[in-house]
Amino acid sequence: MTSLRFKSRVPVFDANVRVGDLLDEPAPYRDRDGVLAEMDRHGVERSLIYHAHAESVSPIEGNNYLEAWLGDDGRTQPQWVVLPTKDSLGQIQSLHAEGRVNCVRLFDTGQRDLPFRPWAYDTLLSWLSEARIPVWILLPEADADALVTTLQAYPSLVSVLVGAHYVHALWLRPMLTALPNAYLELSRYEPICEIESLRDQFGAERLVYGSWYSRLAMGPMLFYLHHTNLTDAELTAICAGNLERILGGGTQ
Amino acid sequence: MIDGTQVIDYHGHVGRWDPLGMNDDPKLMLHAMDSAGIDKSCVFGIFHPDGTTSNDQAAHFIAQHPDRFIGFAYVSPMMPERMIPELTRAIDELKFPAIKLYPPYTLWPFNQPQWYPIYEFANERGLAVLFHTDGGELSRPRYLSEIAPQYPNAKFVAGHAGNVIEPRTEAIAAAQAHPNVYLETCSTYRTPGVIEQLVNEAGADRVLFGSDTPLMDPRPQIGKIITADISDEAKRLILGGNARRLLGI
Repeated sequence: MTSLRFKSRVPVFDANVRVGDLLDEPAPYRDRDGVLAEMDRHGVERSLIYHAHAESVSPIEGNNYLEAWLGDDGRTQPQWVVLPTKDSLGQIQSLHAEGRVNCVRLFDTGQRDLPFRPWAYDTLLSWLSEARIPVWILLPEADADALVTTLQAYPSLVSVLVGAHYVHALWLRPMLTALPNAYLELSRYEPICEIESLRDQFGAERLVYGSWYSRLAMGPMLFYLHHTNLTDAELTAICAGNLERILGGGTQ
Repeated sequence: MIDGTQVIDYHGHVGRWDPLGMNDDPKLMLHAMDSAGIDKSCVFGIFHPDGTTSNDQAAHFIAQHPDRFIGFAYVSPMMPERMIPELTRAIDELKFPAIKLYPPYTLWPFNQPQWYPIYEFANERGLAVLFHTDGGELSRPRYLSEIAPQYPNAKFVAGHAGNVIEPRTEAIAAAQAHPNVYLETCSTYRTPGVIEQLVNEAGADRVLFGSDTPLMDPRPQIGKIITADISDEAKRLILGGNARRLLGI
């Protein structure tokens, strides 16, 4: 039943929230309270957050800026951004030694012409595999062949593929088939009835709700998920349970 | 129907675009519509410059579920000799109540003379014209500020409301300056605050819900309206009230 007003009816743990300003795009809020207010408006309990500066300029500085957005109530949980460099990996390894790393997000090195290939990423991906740390990878600028063949070389590594769009419609089924440890984050994936179709083919356990707020509005995809033929158990898994399992180190 | 409001999706397509996952299977489209309370969707074909092929495709599609879909007439200045005869056929015989134009599939910005016969036709009959608008030079919303005052009996709708910030600003300015300019909401960008901006700056009576179905599922697109921080009355206008007024239904 659709209403003019919407709030989630299941617990929500958003897998993809950006905080802070991009260098050319101020965020629509200035502090953590602004993010929490938006989460409250849509019924989102927790969010996995990364800093915009880490995505667009410097993972090391951006990760430092992220500290101010974390709080101690568990509602905003850190996603550290990493580059395949000694300094960046060293920062993540230090945080890991403090027990503060449940996942990482790859800086998009495609924009700097560093291909996602083992010769460039082996040290990082080997360590993530060994430490059982799942990795979020952006699809918008990815090379599909490099992504699949490289991840296949690290079969125990859990990945979350972020930002799939209808332009990736030809990729997703073969990609999810070839990468059994990959999950699909849903923030931008809008081909008609595809979420229900992917559920039918791969199971709800492979799908993860993310809003990609503040790049995108927080509510629309959550509204969408609540207006499908997903069972409540499937909806709960996609909105929170699958992410909890991924961050807990479990595979599918 | 949502809380007593008949919901009309003002922007949809017929035809398949398989590499992008676009599939106009009516079962899929109706499932998505029914799941979100969408009563009717406006659909059109844009892949055939003759107009006739697209309009017949739309008519055949609509005939399967005439209570759920509304057709818009498509023509292109790439085949100028066909524009007015085909518009006349689509409006008079196929009973399509509005026009859809897609400047990126032509050579001319939509403020150029090649398009004027279409505007004159719409002006004579008081029809609404839906444009694809974006930041490309063929599709800039600022052209609406040139053509809207010349054809005051026609209504001009900026599809996607310009899509991104700079052309969106142009679209809003055109709506503010001209009472026959409207803004339609579908966009893959789903930028935070856009629906609120359109309502606050152009007025809720000038904004139309659209989804781009079946290229995009209408559910996240209607979710933009439902989850926006605007009044219930504004939502009712955007979801259906304005479209009913524009289409005369």
